[in-house]
Amino acid sequence: MASYPVSTIERGCVFNLAMATRALLAVISASPRTIKIKTSVSSCSSLRLQRYSRKTHRIARSFSSDTNPSLLQPPDVSRLAETARISLTPAEIEECEPKIRQVIDCLSSLSKLEGGNLREDAPETFENRDGIRASIPSFEDAYLKVPKVLNKE
Amino acid sequence: MLSTLHPPRSLTLLPLRRFHGPKTIVSAASTSPATTTFDAASVSPPQSQILNTRRSLLSGETTASELAKSHLSRIRLTEPQLKCFLHVSENVLKGAQEIDQRIARGEELGPLAGVLIGVKDNICTEGMPSTAASRILEHYRPPFDATAVKKIKELGGIVVGKTNMDEFGMGSTTEASAFQVTANPWDLTRVPGGSSGGSAAAVAARQCMVSLGSDTGGSVRQPASFCGVVGLKPTYGRVSRFGLMAYASSLDVIGCFGSTVADAGMLLHAISGYDKFDSTSSKQDVPEFESQFLSVDSLESKPLKGVKVGVIRETIEEGVDSGVRSATQEAASHLEALGCVVTEVSLPSFSLGLPAYYVIASSESSSNLSRYDGVRYGNQVMADELNKLYECSRGEGFGKEVKMRILMGTYALSAGYYDAYYKRAQQVRTLIRKDFKAALDQNDILISPAAPSAAYKIGEKKDDPLAMYAGDIMTVNVNLAGLPAIVLPCGLVEGGPSGLPVGLQMIGAAFDEEKLLKVGHIFEQTLKGLSFVPPLLANVA
Repeated sequence: MASYPVSTIERGCVFNLAMATRALLAVISASPRTIKIKTSVSSCSSLRLQRYSRKTHRIARSFSSDTNPSLLQPPDVSRLAETARISLTPAEIEECEPKIRQVIDCLSSLSKLEGGNLREDAPETFENRDGIRASIPSFEDAYLKVPKVLNKE
Repeated sequence: MLSTLHPPRSLTLLPLRRFHGPKTIVSAASTSPATTTFDAASVSPPQSQILNTRRSLLSGETTASELAKSHLSRIRLTEPQLKCFLHVSENVLKGAQEIDQRIARGEELGPLAGVLIGVKDNICTEGMPSTAASRILEHYRPPFDATAVKKIKELGGIVVGKTNMDEFGMGSTTEASAFQVTANPWDLTRVPGGSSGGSAAAVAARQCMVSLGSDTGGSVRQPASFCGVVGLKPTYGRVSRFGLMAYASSLDVIGCFGSTVADAGMLLHAISGYDKFDSTSSKQDVPEFESQFLSVDSLESKPLKGVKVGVIRETIEEGVDSGVRSATQEAASHLEALGCVVTEVSLPSFSLGLPAYYVIASSESSSNLSRYDGVRYGNQVMADELNKLYECSRGEGFGKEVKMRILMGTYALSAGYYDAYYKRAQQVRTLIRKDFKAALDQNDILISPAAPSAAYKIGEKKDDPLAMYAGDIMTVNVNLAGLPAIVLPCGLVEGGPSGLPVGLQMIGAAFDEEKLLKVGHIFEQTLKGLSFVPPLLANVA
């Protein structure tokens, strides 16, 4: 049977029930990956655009303060609560923030799994593009032509 | 008759086997693992309550009304301490009288006629409170029955009431209910497990004959283990989930509790099948399980000859309570004595299941629970602005654990985090499914403990989420793979006034519940010398 490159520490983290906290100390760093942030929005109503860019700005700012770009930002409970539409008292935030961080840290062990045994999810170029294009009844300059969808009435 | 209830220390003990030392356990075939002969003075095998009900109603030995009355009086006596039910139906006796009238008229009876059934509170019951043990749904009475409940009623079953649970199924102890904490009938200072703790404890305490639960990561199997009853988690898709309040839709199933394998199997048969209201329900045939439940006298000496059983190595390693480990090994020996070929198998991806499960379950719950917004049903906290209404209704309506999981799910699904958590978790899920498939290609069933320990104390893990989540290690992988599994009591470890039950988990190939029920039934009926009736019921006639 195949074996997967999982460190014994991670196995301990998720398996050994009494030792979960011990393993936590070992599994603190998250996966090295870059985070792409969409920064341009082309067609939106001005209000939505405004909101959108405010949001992306905030996210971007929260990442830019990260000294190590390879680390995922730990959960900001107030912001998550706002996204999830749940009002939390300051006491609740204080109580659940460390717990959530602790759990998220442990869940980060997942990102250390090497996906070698999984199907590569990579796009391939289909060679016979002209064949596909030939079956399109009306085609012009990379566009499919159809009657007008929106009418003035 | 259960006359009085005492604090646990003064409860009369059942004539269970004595303990010989601090670490001694009593378990399957502990007298002689190589043979199937046991003490002559042993306890007789457990009998199906569904079949007994059917037999005694048809013979006129008892009436449905008498059965209902005796169960209701047991509920009255034991509920103050156990707190299994959030709501007891006022129509139990009426339902029973209708069955009796049908018998008197000589009408045909459904296979569940007169059977008293507890229903987990996250399964909708028309006109009866259905709250999922959450404040946000306090006083909510759905205008319809879940398909499983509808089928039970059509077959003559009587819903006794709604059982307590961890809010929306999020928990492993039933302590996360917004309304009450259920006690374990084996030791009132311990948890019954969760999240279907009320359904498991109610069957263990014989408050009802069978019950429905739901299992997202082990919520039927782990409480079955803690309470010493049978818990059956069907294949994903076997049972319609229409009317089950969604927690993590790619994992959720409705499952069954009984005091015997036959009862759990017959209840499963009653609720299985395709339903146009649940597009994930399967059109696979539902076999007639009843033919598997042969009487112990009709069994040959090696009734399971040639059945290949794989013991999952990763589940009997370090980190698992030694008593639980030996009980599992004794159970393997018992299966061997019955003719099974038992070998060890390894599931290399096993330990990855827990983090993958918590990512997937939290993520899906953050989406599923967005429906509780205080607008369409449930409790509303009025505000002058719509977002405030949502936030306050949800903030006041949800309990701590639910809020935490919604927030974790929101985090894992955030842009930029998705690849590291949710996508990874889905990849792990593929690995787990592959490993199970390889192991089940070589074995008929796989076995493991149902939980790393027996029932622990109320409050012990309440503020330590990681310790509590770690207890789900034995069960979550089965949900990730969508496979069926049954948990049945296989031994006792020291603890409480007369020992604590330990459950054995048997895992089968998709849609092969029949094999699990066959092996489980024979295992149970030949497991002599042990009785899984909690001390609470010791002086019940």
